[in-house]
Order: sequence, then C-alpha cells, then structure tokens
Amino acid sequence: MNPEANTAGEVSAVEVSHLTKVFSLGLKREYVVAVDNLSFHVKAGEVYGLIGPNGSGKSTTMKVVLGLMAPSKGSAKVFGLDSGDIRARNEIGFLPENPYFYKHLSGAETLRFYGKLCGMKGRDLERRVDELLKLVDLEGAATRRLGGYSKGMLQRIGLAQALVQNPRLVILDEPTAGVDPIGSRQIRDLIMRLRDEGYTVFLCSHLLEQVQEVCDRVGILFRGRMRREGALEELISVDSQTSITLEGASPELLGKIRELVQRDEGTSLVAEGHPRTSLEHLFVRIAERGEDPQP
Amino acid sequence: MSDEAPPPNPEPDRATPAPAPGARPVPLFSFGRVATIASGTVTQLVRMKTFYFLLAFAAVVVAAGNFNLPATPAKELSMIKKVSFGTMDIFAWLFAIVATALLIPRDQEDRTLYTILSKPVRRIEYLLGKLGGVLVVVGVSLLAMYAICAVMIGAREALFVAAEVEAMTADGRYSDAEIAEQVGLIRQQGLRAELGIAVLASFFKAAVVAAVTIFLSTFASSSLFTIIVSILVFLIGHAHSMATSFWLHETNNSVFVQMLVKLIKILIPDFQLFSFSEGIVQGEPVVYALVWQMGAVTGAYLLVFLLLSLLVFVDKEF
Amino acid sequence: MKRLFQILPRPLLALALLGGFGLLRTPVEQGLRTRLVEANLLLPPPAQGALEQMGQSALMGTLGGLRPLVATYLTLEAFGHFSTKSWDSLRQTYQIITSLEPRDETHWTSVVWHLGINATANMETSQNLPAFERERRFREYAFQAIELAERGIAQIPDSVAIRIQLAEVYREKLKDDCAVARVYGELMDLPGAPGYSRRFHGYFLARCPGHEEEAYAHLMGLYREGEHQHLPTLIKEIKNLEEALAIPKEFRIPNPDPDLMRTAPGEAPASAPSQLQTLPGGIVVP
Repeated sequence: MNPEANTAGEVSAVEVSHLTKVFSLGLKREYVVAVDNLSFHVKAGEVYGLIGPNGSGKSTTMKVVLGLMAPSKGSAKVFGLDSGDIRARNEIGFLPENPYFYKHLSGAETLRFYGKLCGMKGRDLERRVDELLKLVDLEGAATRRLGGYSKGMLQRIGLAQALVQNPRLVILDEPTAGVDPIGSRQIRDLIMRLRDEGYTVFLCSHLLEQVQEVCDRVGILFRGRMRREGALEELISVDSQTSITLEGASPELLGKIRELVQRDEGTSLVAEGHPRTSLEHLFVRIAERGEDPQP
Repeated sequence: MSDEAPPPNPEPDRATPAPAPGARPVPLFSFGRVATIASGTVTQLVRMKTFYFLLAFAAVVVAAGNFNLPATPAKELSMIKKVSFGTMDIFAWLFAIVATALLIPRDQEDRTLYTILSKPVRRIEYLLGKLGGVLVVVGVSLLAMYAICAVMIGAREALFVAAEVEAMTADGRYSDAEIAEQVGLIRQQGLRAELGIAVLASFFKAAVVAAVTIFLSTFASSSLFTIIVSILVFLIGHAHSMATSFWLHETNNSVFVQMLVKLIKILIPDFQLFSFSEGIVQGEPVVYALVWQMGAVTGAYLLVFLLLSLLVFVDKEF
Repeated sequence: MKRLFQILPRPLLALALLGGFGLLRTPVEQGLRTRLVEANLLLPPPAQGALEQMGQSALMGTLGGLRPLVATYLTLEAFGHFSTKSWDSLRQTYQIITSLEPRDETHWTSVVWHLGINATANMETSQNLPAFERERRFREYAFQAIELAERGIAQIPDSVAIRIQLAEVYREKLKDDCAVARVYGELMDLPGAPGYSRRFHGYFLARCPGHEEEAYAHLMGLYREGEHQHLPTLIKEIKNLEEALAIPKEFRIPNPDPDLMRTAPGEAPASAPSQLQTLPGGIVVP
C-alpha cells in the first residue's frame, strides 16, 4: 500500500513518518534530539493542530515539512511530494510566528512580491491581490507600508501572503501569538473560512483554547514525541459525563430534573451552576458589540 | 463560534478558487523570480534612504572643487579628479559591503527568509536576486556620483580654460598654436570620456566585494560580523603585491610565514588589481583589452563566489 | 563521492574550492597585474624604503586602495608647510607623496618648483640666517630640487613638465646656461614638448661656452623652417653668433638686427642662403 495514502486511498496533505531531527551543539559532540521518531498525517481538507509547550519540537516539525530543514531520519511529505521538493512549496502557504515582512513595502506590494515569487503576473496577480486584501479585510490599508501595521494586521497580511498562489495546504505557526483578542478572533474566523473553502490547515500552537476552537484533529507533542493524537471531541470529551445547558429554566423545572436524577440508579449530579464565558469571549463582546456583560 | 463576531468578508465564495488537483510544475530556474527578488532588494535599499549618501558625496566633490591651491589649473583639476574618483571608489565598495551584509542576515533575523523560501523559490535564485539588486543599486549610485563629478570637473575645466585663454590673448605674445597647446594641457586633466572606464573599474571592484560579502553572510549570523570580516578581507586583499615583495622574496623569513602569505594570497581575492581606475584618473591612456580582461576576471569572481555561497546556503537550516 | 559530499562540512568544502580557484587565478592575475603596471594603469607596490618613511596614514592608504586620496591629503599638508616656509618638512612630505603616486607628474613638478624656486628665493631674502648659511642652504635646496626632478624623470621618462621645471631651476637660480640647454635639448623632441623648447635649446646653447657652433647650426636649422621661426630673439641670437663665429658676410642672414631696426619678421627680405650645407669652419647646417 502506498504509505502516503490514508485508508480512503486519498493522498494525505501532510505525511510525517518516523521523523527524527537531531541538532549538534557547536563543535562539541553534544546533541539535542528535537523531534524523536514522530509520525502523523494531516488529511486533505481538515484543520490539524499540533500543540505542545515551547520547545516541544513543533516549530522544528513545521520547518521540516516546509523544507527549511532536512530530517535527520524519517521523512515528511506534502501531497505525496518529498518536503525538500520545490514543487511541494507550491502547495504550501506558510505564515511564520510573528512574521516580519519587508517594512518598506505596502500591503498590496507585499502580496504582489510573494505572488511574483510564485510565478504569478499581470492581471491575474492584481485580481488575486485584490481578492486577498478583501478576504483579510485590509483593503483600506493596502497602500500603507507594513511598518505602520499593527500585529493583528501583520498577521492577516501574512495569512493573505500565504494564500497568494492558492495553495492546497496552509501552515500556520502560532497564528495568534501576541495578537489582541479581537485580532485573534478575526484570524480564527479566517481559519474557519479556509476550512470551509476546502483548504487543509496545519497549525502549531501552545494556546490550547485556540486549537480547541478550530481544529478537527490535534496532536499533542511533548519533548519531541507525540503523546496523544486524535479527533478533538475524542480527546476532550469525558465519555462518562454529559452536560445540559438550559436557558430560562424555572426553579421548578430544575427541581424536577434533580428529582429524576436522584431516582435513577447509577447516575449522580456532579456539578450544577451558571456556565461561564471565557475571558476572551467576554472581552470581545464588550469591545465589539458594546454589549452589557451583565446577564 | 462565529456567532459572536461577523466574518471580516461577507463574500466567501469569491476569494478562493477550488484547489488545484495535482502538483504544479516549477521551472528549474526562473529569471522572473530572480528579477522579483532583485527589484525587491532595490526597492528596499531605495526606501531605506540609502541614496542620501550621495549628498555626502556631493559635499566632498564640492569641497574638492574649491581647494584653491597655488597650483596650475592642470594640477588643480587632477586633484579634484583624484579626490572625487577616490571617494567614489570608497563609497562604492563600502556601500556594496554594507548593503549586502544587511540584506541576507536581516532577512534571516526577521524571518522574512522563511516566507520567501517557503514559496517555490530556489536558493540560487534568492542569492542571485539579492546580489543583482545590490549591484543595480551600486551601479546606479556610481552613475549618479559620476554625474556629480562630471558637473564639477566640467565646470572647473571650463572656468580654467576661459581664464587661461583670456590671460594668454590679453598679452598678445602667444600664437594660437601655443594657446591651443596650453588649453590641451588643461583638457588633458579635465573631463574625458576615459573617466567612464574608471567608474567601470570601481564597479568591478564593488561587484567582487559584494559577491565575497554574500559568501561571508551565508556563514555569518549577524550583519555586524559580516561587515567587519568583509572589510578586513578587503583590506588584506589590497596587500597581496606588497606581501609578495616583502615576505616571499626575502630569504630570511621562516617557511611558516611564507606558507601563511601564500595561503592568504590563494584564499583572498586580489582587490588591488581592481584599482586600475587610479591610472585612468591620472590621465594614463586606457588599454581597452586589459579592461575587458578585468571584466572577465570580475565575472569569474562573481561566478565562483556565488557557487561557493550556494554550496553553504543550499541546505542551510533556518 | 556523493557520500563524501554529504559528510564534509560545507564550509570546509567551500574553503577547499576557494583554494582551488585561488590556485587557478593567481597566474592569470599575475599576468594581468604585470600588464596593467606596464600600461601605467596600476601602481606597483611602493619601494620598501618608501614604506618605512611613509608613516601610518600613508601605509593605511596603500593597504586600503586609497593611495590617490592619501596623496591628495598630503598635498594639502605640503601646502601648509609651504605657507609656513618649512622646507624640510615639505620635502619629506613630497617624498611620501611621490612614492605613493610616482606616476603623477604634477607631484614632481610641484616639489621641484617648491624647493628649486620658492625655497631658494626664501634663502635669498631671508633675514634670519647669516649669509654663509643662507648661501649653503640655497645651494642645498637647488640641488635637492634637481635630484628630485631627476628621480621624477626616471619615473616618467617622457615628462616634459618636470624637465621644464628643472630647466627653470638651472636658469633662474643656478644661472647654468649649459644645463638649461641640455635639459631643453632632452625635452624638445619629446611628444607634447612646447613649440618654444627648440628655440630655447638654441638660445641657451649659444650662451654655453664652447657650444657656439652647435648653437649656430641648430638656430639656422630653425631659421630655415620658415618665417614663423623668424622671431626677434632668434634673429638676434643668430646675429650674435655670426659675429662670434666670424661667419662670412655672404653666408649671413639678410634680416636686419632687431635691436637696431625693429622689423616684423614677415617683412624681412627672405633671400636667405639656402643651398649651403657646410659653412666655413666646418659648421654643418641641417
């Protein structure tokens, strides 16, 4: 069987198998194993999140997939192409962590620059630049130089840059690091849209909440090894427990429910209370909608 | 989740066409990509306001144009030429080193390099584009500096010739032939077409320096390191012929010293060879065959140092 | 091979290739250097003695390829020495300048002019020194000027300007007509020599004892070139020589003595003796 293909016979967007990356420290014979025999795959069309603390090997894995680093052992493939193959690069759009583009270029010029690098030109390129500026909501800042962009805007122009050649796979490294909650939400929404439009998204993050919100599947990396991997629901749901959220329930109804639970053998009420929104949600609600946070 | 914030763009279906089915081919080498990186580099250097150094150059030339020494017009013109072309030469190579050293390590520090290399760009195309961009800017700066010099020298020359002709005709003692002879002496040191070849010589030198700097910057992790080492290499590269006559032709030097000098001669380019603009500026006749041969040597240096840079850069990990 | 390529650290491999390129290019560059130096486009390395005198700034200039700039800077410095009449410092500075740029004629002419004309004039008028010392230094500066001029001529063998400056020192300061005549004799056939240099050679040769016949032959040669050479001084010098050499009347030029009757050269009767090649006394007129 073709190792790059998953069970459905479809080629994986990313196929990492037995990847090991070792760095030597200076001239001394000392080594650091950054990634240790790592295997996983990202299916075409899904949002895959690689999570783990700083230094767990996420960025190294990503750089190997991008062809910026060569594996010490094992392999990384992108749509069946070796990650070192330049054709693989056409299929990838990459947004690095805290990207610094040329500050002297405007948003539109940045997109044009990267588009030309991908062999685009003329009216096709101009049309694509306009589309992307619209997509990331930076039409108003198209002619402003990146030196004057906020972090969130940089992240969005970075995402547009990643999409310029219309790649099949988008790789995002800590896409919301250092971005304020509103900017962070905009980026999250963009990722959701990318998935809806059929892109495969592979992202790395140490912000668990973010991963939880957007990813179909996640892998948890720790000290260079995959500790857990699977569909998000499988990983975070507690199978033996169920929660019901009600709105406008009267004390009488709640009393009845409690009664029912008590009557059932083998069922016990673990917790009861008002659900809490996350601080991020709260902040966004106040800032964006002027909504009164009090219920 | 998107119930709380509206998507930034309400027309999702327009933004992205359906993903392509198979791997798109990438040409082995694309001049278009090289040109894109080169023009990006030119834009970068221009917008970094590097051309302001031309103002400093103009100041030097104006100062040189007003020495007002008790010297003959020919001598004064010769001094103006030497100062302006000497300064031009320094500005060209120094600019080539600093600009080149700023570009690649900076792209790396800023992680811009990641985004460029994660596009279908070959590393040789990146290196060529960067070098090409620097050379375009150096070339344009040299032409601009040449224009500044030409205005100054041309103006002084016209002034000197007019004054000399006036002095000689007022006396009435000199024949037209003698006046023409005297004017010829001044014109000899004035604005001549051969000076363009001196500019070309400075360009050759700056091009080789830039190629060496690119090579060094593929090792280096910082701009400062690259600049310092490049300048050092440049200075040592001027001492080849002196070192040869000092250490290699003397019998009392140890074998170790002789080996060291030979090693340095082999590893470091002979930059002094590229100083042939000095002779041209002094008014010596240009031997064009030699100029073209120096052009070929320059080409060889560029080629070799690009290959060397590629060798280090091709699978450098970031 | 591929394995080796992978094992060897890339910087080491690059260094090895750099060495190989170095070995290949060295002979080519050596040849080019020789031809560039021959064409005077490139300066040879300064002589060892010069380097020792040079001092740090000049040495740096040589190393950094800034020779013309350092030389110009030192020229300004030398001008400072000229304004303070520090002639010895001026000579030392010019020694460095000329070793930095031995092919620049203007450095040689400047230093010969400074020492041979300005420094000697200063000694003639200086009130601070006793007469004997002034005379001694006068001769010293004049001879230093001559020596520097000769070194310059050795560097630039067909330099007209250095020779003219040298002739000035002989003429104006040392009053050595024979030397002036010799110098003009050297320079008159060089490319770019001024038109008057052949006449000057004759004039000063005429005043050099024992060379009257040679001078007469030379000046007659010029006279025969046509009316454009019939300048009053030339006529006068020939007249003087005709007297001194007792040239028979029929062989003398028909022009009137310009001191007795000022006539424009064009108006002079042009029936000069033309066939004669050998004059009495064995004087050969070219």
